[in-house]
Amino acid sequence: MNKYFRELTVAAALILLLLSLLLFAPHFFQAQPMVSRLTSQMPALVAAIGVALVIMTRQIDISIGAQFSMCAVIAGVTAASGLPLGVAILAALGAGALMGALNGVLVAYLGLPSIVVTLATMVTWQEALRLWQQGRLLPLPDGIQWFGLSQGAGQALVISAALILLIAAAWGMKNLAAGRFIYATGSDAEAARLAGINPKKTTFSVFVAMGLLAGLAAVLNLVQSPQVQPNAGDGLELKAIAAAVVGGVAISGGRGTLLGVLLGMMLLANVNPALTHFHQPPYWEKAIQGLVILLAVVADGLRSRKNPV
Amino acid sequence: MSTARSFSIKSLFARHEMVLVLVIIFEVILFNALGRRFLTSGNMSNVFRHSVEIGLLALAMTPVILTGGIDLSVGSMMGLCAVLFGIMVNVLGLDPWMAAFLAIGFGALGGGLNALLITRLNLPPLIVTLGTFSLFRGLAEALTRGAESYSGFPESFLALGNSDLAGIPAQIWVFIAVAVGIYLMVHHTTLGRSFRAIGYSQEGARYAGIPVARNTSIAYILAGAVAGLAAVILVARLGEARANAGIGYELLAITAVVLGGVSIFGGSGTVGGTFLGWIALAFLNNGLTRISDYRIMDQPIASVARELSGLLTGLLLLTALAIGASTKTLAVRRARKQSLSNIKPSTTNP
Repeated sequence: MNKYFRELTVAAALILLLLSLLLFAPHFFQAQPMVSRLTSQMPALVAAIGVALVIMTRQIDISIGAQFSMCAVIAGVTAASGLPLGVAILAALGAGALMGALNGVLVAYLGLPSIVVTLATMVTWQEALRLWQQGRLLPLPDGIQWFGLSQGAGQALVISAALILLIAAAWGMKNLAAGRFIYATGSDAEAARLAGINPKKTTFSVFVAMGLLAGLAAVLNLVQSPQVQPNAGDGLELKAIAAAVVGGVAISGGRGTLLGVLLGMMLLANVNPALTHFHQPPYWEKAIQGLVILLAVVADGLRSRKNPV
Repeated sequence: MSTARSFSIKSLFARHEMVLVLVIIFEVILFNALGRRFLTSGNMSNVFRHSVEIGLLALAMTPVILTGGIDLSVGSMMGLCAVLFGIMVNVLGLDPWMAAFLAIGFGALGGGLNALLITRLNLPPLIVTLGTFSLFRGLAEALTRGAESYSGFPESFLALGNSDLAGIPAQIWVFIAVAVGIYLMVHHTTLGRSFRAIGYSQEGARYAGIPVARNTSIAYILAGAVAGLAAVILVARLGEARANAGIGYELLAITAVVLGGVSIFGGSGTVGGTFLGWIALAFLNNGLTRISDYRIMDQPIASVARELSGLLTGLLLLTALAIGASTKTLAVRRARKQSLSNIKPSTTNP
C-alpha cells in the first residue's frame, strides 16, 4: 500500500470539505476572516507538532493544555511587571521546558506510563494556576499584542513562525539523527537500545521539546489578544492529539509524518467553521472530535490487522 | 521459593494498606485540630454523601487497572448518562427508577463500545478511552445544546441523594452493595483472579486458557455501568442533570486506585486498597473546607479548598506513582541480586 496513503486520504477529505464550502458557502473564503482563522490555529499547530513527536516515541502527553495555560500566564505576568517582551518569551519557553522535563524524568527514567503521569501533572498545573490566578483575566501592557507590530504584520509573523517551525521539524525528522532516534525508539525501544540509541534520553528530550513547543504555542497565542486567559489551554491536548492521530501518526509509535499532522490539523480546524457556515449548531464539535479520533485509530487497527507488520 | 515470594508480596500489600490507614488517622487528627467540626457524625455523613460517586468509579476502575488497562471515559460517561436520564424523565416522561435502570444500561453500552475497540481491534485502552472521553462528553453537550439542564424530579427519587436510611445517607447503602459485590468478584472468583493474571501477562493468561478478550470486556462494561449508576446518584443528590456532570472524576478515581496500591502496570492490587485510597482522598477534600483560621496566598484555606485539594491530589498521585515505581525497581534489583547469589555457588562448585 502507498506509503503516504493516510496523508492522501486526509488531503482528499480536506479538499472535499473546502470545495463544498466553495460551492455552498463561498463567503467562507473572504480573505481577512480566512487569515484571522488561520492565525488563530497556529498555536494549536505548534502544540500538535510536539504531540506528534511524543506519540511517535510511543508516549502521550495530555498535560500540554495545562502547560500552555501556565506558560501563557507566566509570560503575561512577566510582561505585566514591565520586563521586555523578549524576557517574557524566554520565561514562557523556560517554564515549558521545566514542566516537560518533569514529565520526561517520570516517564523516561522512572518508567511510569505517560498517560497517568501527564494526567497527574495536568491537574497539578491546572489547579496551581487556579489557586494562583483565581480565573482572573490578566491585562497585557501595550506593545505585546502582535509583537507591537500592526495586525497584518503580526499575523504574518505568527503564521510564518509556525510554518517555518513545521518545515524545519519535518526536515529534521527525515534527515537528522535525532529524528531517526525518535522513530526508532517509538517502533522498538529495545531494538533501538541495541542499535546504540539511548531510548531513555530520547524520550526525555522529546518531553522537554514538547514543553518548549507548548511554551512557544502559548507565546504565539498571547500576542493575538490584549489579555491572558488563564484557561486558554483547556482542551488543547485533545485538539492536538486528534490532529496527530487523524494525520496518520500511529498511536503504537514509530510511524507518521508532520505533513500528515498539518493536514489533520487543517481538516479538524475547518470542521467547526464549516458547521457554522452550513448553519449547523456548533455544539457537536467535541463529539465530532472524539468520533474522528476513534475512526482514525479504528482505521489504523483494521489496517494493521490486514497487513501485520 | 514460590511460597516465600507470595508471602513477601502479601506483606508488601499489608504494609501499603497499613500506611494508608496511618495516613487516614493522620488526616483525621490534623483536620480535627486545624478545622472545625471535622469528626462529627453530621460531617462524616456529609463527606461520604459527597464522595460516593468518586468511590463508585474508583471501585469499578480497579478491575480495569488490574488488567493493565485504563478507562479515561468514566467521567464523560457520567455526563452523558446524567443527560440521558434527564431526557428520559423530563422529555419522554419515564418513571425515574425505570430511567435510572436504563441509564445504567446506557453506561454498560458505552463501556461495551470501549471493550469492543480495545479487545476486538486490539487498540490501546488509553487512546480508545481518550476518544470516548471526548465523544461521550460531546454527545452530552450536543444533546443539551451546551446549556440546557433537566430538573424537577420527584421527591421519592431525590431521596436517594438527600435522605438517610437507618441513620446513614441512602446512597451509602448502594455504595456498600457495589463495594461488597466488586470485592467478592475480584478476590473470590476465578474471573477476579483472571484480571490480575491478564494484567501480569496477557500472553501468559491466554496460554493458561483464560478468555482474555471476554474477561477484559467485562471489566470495561462494568466500569461503564457503574459510571451510569454514579450519574444517577449524582443527579439525585444535585436535583439537576447537566452535561458537565462528572468532569474530572476519572482523575480522582484513578488517583484513589493508585493511592490504594494498585499497580498502574496491572497485575497487582486489592479492592480494599482502593477503598482506603478513596477515604484518604475524601477526607482531604472535605478537611480543607473546614480550615477557616489559616490562610494561603492571602486567602482563607476554606475558600480555596477546591483548588488546593485538586493541587494536592495531583501531587499525591505523582508521589504515589514515583514511590510505586521506585519500589518496583528496587524489588527487581533485589531479585536480580538474589538470583545472582543463588547462581554463584553452583558455578564455583564443580
